Amino acid sequence: MAKMNDRLDRKIREHFDRLFEGVGSSQALYELKEELVSNLKEKIADYRERGMDEDQAFKEAVISMGDLSGLVEDMRGIGQDEAKRSVYSAKNLRMSAASIVTGTLLVLFGLFTSAMLYFMNHSWETAVDPAIFSVGGGALIVWGALTRETRKKFGMTRIRAGLYALAIGLLLFSLYSSVKTALVTHDTAMGVSAMMVFFLPAVGLWLGLVLTGPDRRKT
Amino acid sequence: MSTISTELIRGHTATIILNVLRQGDSYGYEIYKQILKLSGHRYELKEATLYTVFRRLEKEGYIVSYWGDESQGGRRKYYRITESGREYYERSVQEWQFAREILDRLIKGGLNDGKDE
Repeated sequence: MAKMNDRLDRKIREHFDRLFEGVGSSQALYELKEELVSNLKEKIADYRERGMDEDQAFKEAVISMGDLSGLVEDMRGIGQDEAKRSVYSAKNLRMSAASIVTGTLLVLFGLFTSAMLYFMNHSWETAVDPAIFSVGGGALIVWGALTRETRKKFGMTRIRAGLYALAIGLLLFSLYSSVKTALVTHDTAMGVSAMMVFFLPAVGLWLGLVLTGPDRRKT
Repeated sequence: MSTISTELIRGHTATIILNVLRQGDSYGYEIYKQILKLSGHRYELKEATLYTVFRRLEKEGYIVSYWGDESQGGRRKYYRITESGREYYERSVQEWQFAREILDRLIKGGLNDGKDE
C-alpha cells in the first residue's frame, strides 16, 4: 500500500511539474503546486472509493479539475517579475562590489603615495596631499557596503546610501583639511577651526539619516 | 440530471465561495465538494476556476490563507474570510436580490402588468 502511494505520489507531482514547466520559479508557484497536489490526491482517493482503479481515477480526477492554463499564465507572470527582481539585485551586487573594490584601491593609493612622498624626504605638508584620494575612497566603500544586500538585511536605496557616503566623505575631508591646515600653519587651533567647517554639516547629515532610516532587517 | 449553465453563474463564483467560507474556514478540495453539495450535485465549480478566484480574493484582501498542520498526505492550505470579505459578500447578496427582481420582470413580466388601464 505504501509503495503504491509512493508511485501515485510521484505521478501526481510529475503531472503538475510538467504542467508548470518553464514557468519561472516563485513562492506562489511552489504553494499552488502543493495545494493542487493535495487536492488531486484527495480526489483520486474519493474516486478509488467508488471503485475506480488507480490509473482511471488519476485520469478522471485530472480531467475533472478543468483547464488550468489560466493559473499557469498567472504563475508565469509572477515568475517573470521575480526573475526581473533577481536580475536587478545581481546588478546591484556587482555595482556594490565594484564600488568597494575601487574605494579600497583609492584609499590604499592615497596612503601609499603619501608614505612614498614622505620617505622621498618631502615635508609632511606636501606628503599629506595624496591622502585626499582616501577621502573619496572611503565614501565609495561606504556606498558599496550600504547598497549591498546581505542575508540579514536588504540593501539601502542608492540615493540614501549616496547621502551616507556624502556624510562620511565630508567627515573624512574635514579630518584631511584640518591636518593639512595644522601642518601648513603650524597652529593646531587653525586646524581645529578648519575641521569644524565640514565636520558639523557631516555630523548633522549623518544624524539626520540615522534617525529617519527605514528598517532594512529581513524578518 | 440537468445542470445549470456556467454562463449564468460566471459572475457569482466569488460570492459562492465566500458563502462557503463565511460558514467556516476550509481548503480547496473541501470547498469544491461543499459547492457541489450545496447545488444538489447540479453545479460543479471546477478547481481551475476555484484556485483562480482564490488568488483574486486573496489579492483583494477578502480572504486570507494559512497552511494546516496535517502530517499524513499533502498539506492543506486553508482559507479564511476577512471582515472586508464579509462586507463584500453582503453587498453581493443585495445586488443579487435586486438583479433577480428586475430580471424576473424582464424575462417573465407582461407588458400590461401593474397598469390600471
